[in-house]
Amino acid sequence: MTPVIALSLFGIINLFLGFTFKRQSLQVVTLLFIICSMALTAMDWNHEYLWFGDMMKTNNLSINFSLIIQLAGLLVVAFSNGFGKDEVYTQPAEYYAILLFSLVGALLMVSFQNLIMLFVGLEILSVAMYVLTGSDKRNLRSNEAALKYFLMGSFATGFLLFGIALVYGSTRSLYISGILYNLSHTAPESLPSFLYAGIILMGIGLLFKISAAPFHFWTPDVYEGAPTIFTMFMSTVVKTAGFAAIYHILDVTFGGFQKNWIITVYFITIITLILGNISAAYQQSAKRMLAFSSISHAGYMLLTVCANQPSTSSNILYYSLAYTLATAVSFAVLMVVAEYQTGRTEKPENFDALNGLAKNNPSLAFAFTVALLSLAGIPLTAGFWGKFFVFTDMFNKNLTYPIIIAVLMSAVGIYYYFKGIISVYFNSGEIEKIETSFLFKIALWSACIGTLVLGIYPTLLKSIF
Amino acid sequence: METKTDRFMQSIPEIIRTIPLTHYILLSSALFAIGVLGVLTRRNALIVFMAIELMLNAVNLLLAAFSSYFSDPAGQIFVFFIMAVAAAEVAVGLAIIVMIYRNIQTIDIGLLNKLRN
Amino acid sequence: MEVSNYWYFLSGLTLLSALMVVLSKNPIHSVLYLVFTFFCISGHYVLLNAQFLMAVNIIVYAGAIMVLFLFVIMMFDLKKNIPDSKTNLTKLAGTVVAGSVLVILVAAFRTIQYPTPDESTFNPNNGMVENLGKVLYSEYLLPFELVTVLFFVAMVGSVMLGKREVGDRNF
Repeated sequence: MTPVIALSLFGIINLFLGFTFKRQSLQVVTLLFIICSMALTAMDWNHEYLWFGDMMKTNNLSINFSLIIQLAGLLVVAFSNGFGKDEVYTQPAEYYAILLFSLVGALLMVSFQNLIMLFVGLEILSVAMYVLTGSDKRNLRSNEAALKYFLMGSFATGFLLFGIALVYGSTRSLYISGILYNLSHTAPESLPSFLYAGIILMGIGLLFKISAAPFHFWTPDVYEGAPTIFTMFMSTVVKTAGFAAIYHILDVTFGGFQKNWIITVYFITIITLILGNISAAYQQSAKRMLAFSSISHAGYMLLTVCANQPSTSSNILYYSLAYTLATAVSFAVLMVVAEYQTGRTEKPENFDALNGLAKNNPSLAFAFTVALLSLAGIPLTAGFWGKFFVFTDMFNKNLTYPIIIAVLMSAVGIYYYFKGIISVYFNSGEIEKIETSFLFKIALWSACIGTLVLGIYPTLLKSIF
Repeated sequence: METKTDRFMQSIPEIIRTIPLTHYILLSSALFAIGVLGVLTRRNALIVFMAIELMLNAVNLLLAAFSSYFSDPAGQIFVFFIMAVAAAEVAVGLAIIVMIYRNIQTIDIGLLNKLRN
Repeated sequence: MEVSNYWYFLSGLTLLSALMVVLSKNPIHSVLYLVFTFFCISGHYVLLNAQFLMAVNIIVYAGAIMVLFLFVIMMFDLKKNIPDSKTNLTKLAGTVVAGSVLVILVAAFRTIQYPTPDESTFNPNNGMVENLGKVLYSEYLLPFELVTVLFFVAMVGSVMLGKREVGDRNF
């Protein structure tokens, strides 16, 4: 609860600081705010609290999710470079304030105990992202991305709310503890049949937000149209918070009803894996490829949600951490290269724009390579262990067909990730040395080293998760 | 002596006695389906947005019905929160639509795809 | 006239005006039909003894949100935007999807045996302001305060997106 209060206050303070501070100082101040709230989160380690009469819960699981989400926010702020030098068309104080407020929403989504808190947290996160997606007002693609994200997101919220209403009608309680109590004390025959419809509708609403197929149609356009720094935020924070919410709803609350929702989520997982990977292989634009890759990673994480083992929560945490570090680095490198190439090339976000990066920017090229290897799941990186734990879960549940499809799709993934590595190291192109700020370099190197360390010693964090 | 208010208060539970709850669920589902129809069929961004508001109102009606039949105020409290969130979303959504209109002088969502390429 | 006749009449009005919202060609007609739908739904709230909810629905939805919609529609020059229809195939696909949503939901509810509410636990004060206020400010205080953050985001975001930059046309 303390990080929620702290982040809200820091967001308001940020709005006022915009009057006097310069851009770079605003970035440093926001970084300090997020580090302060991470410290407040970690102070509650190994304590269990229920806040305000069973509205929010703080336990080790929620602290871990909160730390990953705030780490993603920290990386986004560190890579943001104070949003450039354009005085008129960018307002850094407002962007940083909305980022902090959306972190509040994400924290609510990972520690809720009442369905109202889930809804309020989801809406805070979503409305903040609608605003940030459209923040580049002169760019038509950013406008289109904002409108599409807004309409699809509100549509999904409608489904989620109808599901919550049906669940409330059948269990007579909005609290997770109340739902579990009422469901365990009623005979299965006397449960109203619209409980199952409610569970599926809630699942559909949440699956929209993490862009599982067949609800993924907004993802490529929105990820491509939004400014790259906010795409980084969307693909790390929104996915992690969404998966925490899906885990709490499907596995914790309705785990006993698994035979009702397992078939639907099973097929959604398989379609997500196939569609995400095969569509990504056809992309020319690196940013769109990363959008489709985020769809495929949602598919991998859904595999362990389907399996519903005791180790599911720690596997989701580990996979989210590995995916966050890798995606942040890859989007950061794409961002600086695209900024350099605008005006020099037709399409600054294609793979061709990355040609020859290694000649004058060896550190950027190395970081990009490590990030793509982690996303592909090559050993010695954190992504490999993430996929390994997910596949172990599925083996323990004796579900073999999704594992075969997942392994095949990982092989397809290697193809399109290696396209990026090849164009960076082996193709020739003219890119001069790109100047990056000190904070950018620190964030880049720490994320890279984190990926490699977690790839070699996964038990470092797996024992805590 | 039975005043008019007493007779009015006694007639309120008659609704709950005579209309089974399933009627409310059917009405709410029909409104929800009309909202889904509006989102999928129309091309004017404002009408799509109004259809989404219709969906949220269908949910409000269902929650209020459950709340009255169970005498549990939690459903009506949830309706307050849905209304508050819907108001905030309308503000942001209309700002996005106004921003788009300033740039391309139309709010036809089919046209946006062609402009991108 | 029996109470259930009122109910069927009101439901028919609600569904009819909701259909007209979605099917009208003119956006201003859609807005007015939507306002009428909100009034019909408020009538349903009265029948359910949710009196405070009726008042809030009319004030917030029909009074604030629809007025915002009307402002935005009046700002646009709609004469250029009247031809607004997707291809017939898309409309058919959309109708099929909505129809299947309705059929699935109706089929799910057909076979339930819902227990009727019993008289002993019925609370006639359920929809009244005092009762709702007591619950909202004691049990649900935390989400009530956290909606403030949402309003902050909406305020900052809508001003940021909607304000006129130097050199923009003013419609």
